[in-house]
Amino acid sequence: MVAGALSMDLDVHVAAIVGGDPRAFGAWLAGAEPRVRDSLRSFAQVVDVEAVLQETLLRVWQVAPRFVADGRDNGLLRLAIRIGRNLAISEVRRTRATPTDGGDLETVLAAAAAPRPAPDPMLRRAIGECRDQLPPRPRQALDARLAGAGGQADDELAAGLGMRLNTFLQNFTRARQLLADCLSRRGVAITLEIGE
Amino acid sequence: MTAAGNGSGDGGGRSDDLLIEQVAGAYRPPSRTELRYHPAWHDLDPAGRERAFARARALRALEAALDPDGLSTTAHAVLARITGRR
Repeated sequence: MVAGALSMDLDVHVAAIVGGDPRAFGAWLAGAEPRVRDSLRSFAQVVDVEAVLQETLLRVWQVAPRFVADGRDNGLLRLAIRIGRNLAISEVRRTRATPTDGGDLETVLAAAAAPRPAPDPMLRRAIGECRDQLPPRPRQALDARLAGAGGQADDELAAGLGMRLNTFLQNFTRARQLLADCLSRRGVAITLEIGE
Repeated sequence: MTAAGNGSGDGGGRSDDLLIEQVAGAYRPPSRTELRYHPAWHDLDPAGRERAFARARALRALEAALDPDGLSTTAHAVLARITGRR
């Protein structure tokens, strides 16, 4: 992705989060989610990271009223990473999966707290314009996933579009590949996993 | 429901690609247990799970870029649970 301004301390949202403001938590999530996800990378073979991640973020919201800042940046993010790691380790034990190293916690925390590029407005515009160029069926599949917002299974989304599940997934795959091709033509480096 | 798969995540099967596509989505079914695994995750081998992780990571960045509030579908799913919409 294209680099922009360095990221800020996400703890600027903590006061409102402690006050129970979901919008503030959403603003925190926008910056924290990718970092917490990356901190769970070493568990990807043995736990469903998406499931662990969502449960972790839910627990952060639940414990946030008791959060006490330690004077360093991104305290709530560091707490989230600890919660996620502990949850993943518990899951490995529960399922008796082959343990993974998981990496040294301090190293993981340092990597997560390091400044990251903020979303680039030019990149956002390029992605939006590439989406607008998608053929109808792939566009429908992509838009359905976005509108579903993680709350509807793919077979439900497919039924809503009058597609079989596999047809829906093939259209979604096509949308992903076409987006990557379009962005590549615009000189935007995109991860191989998107354009695969 | 999940798409049919053969359990090999080595890229050798189109059906596995469809399983990976499902697992890379943010949807997780309601569960009585704390964690909501996607059923298709269990059908993937370690290599397939790694690919699903990488694809989810990349997709969330795209989703956030397309969202007016910069939120991915994962973030929307969590917020829906918090606000009792799900």
